[in-house]
Amino acid sequence: MKKVIFAILMWCGLPGMLAAQVGIYQHGTVVRMHMGDCMAAHHGLMVAFGGPSAPSSQESCPEYTLLSNSVAYVIVGRSSNQLIPLAEEIDFRLHNNELAVRVDDAKHEARFTIKEMIVRAEYDRMQQRMEEQMRVSEAQKDPSVIRQQMGGADEQQQMRLR
Amino acid sequence: MLTRFNRTLSKIVGLAMVCCYPTLGLAAGPSEPAEVVTFRSSVNEVRLVFFAKDDHNHPVAELQKNDFAVIDDERVIRDFRSFNRSSMMKLDIVVLIDSSESVLPQFKKEMGQVLQLISHGPWSEGDSVSVVAFSGMEARVVCEKVCDSALSGDHTKYWTTGGATPLFDAVELATKLIEKHRRPDVWPVLVIFSDGDDTISNSTFKDALHSVRAVAAQVYAIDLGRPGLPTNGTATLQNLAYESGGRWIRISDGASTVFNSVIDDLHSAHVVTYKLPESVSEFHQVQILPTRNLKLQFRCRRGYYSTNGTQKEEGL
Repeated sequence: MKKVIFAILMWCGLPGMLAAQVGIYQHGTVVRMHMGDCMAAHHGLMVAFGGPSAPSSQESCPEYTLLSNSVAYVIVGRSSNQLIPLAEEIDFRLHNNELAVRVDDAKHEARFTIKEMIVRAEYDRMQQRMEEQMRVSEAQKDPSVIRQQMGGADEQQQMRLR
Repeated sequence: MLTRFNRTLSKIVGLAMVCCYPTLGLAAGPSEPAEVVTFRSSVNEVRLVFFAKDDHNHPVAELQKNDFAVIDDERVIRDFRSFNRSSMMKLDIVVLIDSSESVLPQFKKEMGQVLQLISHGPWSEGDSVSVVAFSGMEARVVCEKVCDSALSGDHTKYWTTGGATPLFDAVELATKLIEKHRRPDVWPVLVIFSDGDDTISNSTFKDALHSVRAVAAQVYAIDLGRPGLPTNGTATLQNLAYESGGRWIRISDGASTVFNSVIDDLHSAHVVTYKLPESVSEFHQVQILPTRNLKLQFRCRRGYYSTNGTQKEEGL
């Protein structure tokens, strides 16, 4: 019986252990997360002919933006409770068009559907553009921000004489 | 030489007088209205009170700063300005008691015990407790901040039992009290004893929820409704508690036991602060998730309002 349990454990933990030993894991950081539509992650035949295990359209699944050195991945969980530990750095690898994240505490890998892949430099440029747009719209709402940006007010606290 | 020096000096003094004249004139002029000086400051820090539990549903006492991350408006935040136990903060508790006919006759004795607890309660120095009762057409303040003497005698005089239940108006009144007492180092908490069935308020549930979010209060909703009968009132109380990061509890164990468990819960909380992230939306949704141990569970308010990079409410 013990041998059987040992064999099962070995079988379950083998892919992760092998991957760790071979050193095929990449490192990355999760920078964004929100609950999105599960259907976005499950398309094609699986949705059309999916059995009861397929999530309903009302269920929401976690969607993460994971940054590696060269690529930004947008990945989607298979169910609402499929979470990634949000540590500063996580280990992951690409496997059969999916992204497998190593979860230390659970001693296994969690698999996510890849929704988008963007070259890191392009992702950074997009983020920069978005931040600039946000600053401009913020400045339009509040004139004091414009004054601050123009160097008219260096301090956070402003004194206005009426 | 001296005369030349005197002439130069008198020129300098004269020039100085001319330069200062407008200012002096403004300051001394009796016909000018008094100047109003307005100081404006940007608050760019979010303060989040939260609770951590392990897989056995026990509070996590030894929680570390790097055990969790905050998701604020979809951004993952790990860089915190501070992280403490909530015991560092003072409590501003407003207890709301439904004294309407549908509830009070059943719980009058128990409410008396709760009021005794409040008056002799386990409060730390600097904590304050106010009591608001609501029934009929109105919500009224029974005592504000200093409740010891007000609650030590006969409580029945506070109960004007009758008819309707203005719960949402009572919540609005309580948030106004909190707003009045507001200080950055004070944590506002509402403890509501009610069946949740509002029947007469001018305010709506949306108004009440907005006010609770605006003052960043945590709601502990003690449900006085009958167990086993799911009602709209129960759903209302559950929503208020859930959205604010508080708890919904049935009164089955007795009012005083429940009240004590609320106090214990408050003492197990943590507080984290971080820089307000830039966002296009005024309402920031927040969530706390583990960084390593996925069995840890976190509870906090669901969101807060911010405008132009300035947090409207100081985000407790």
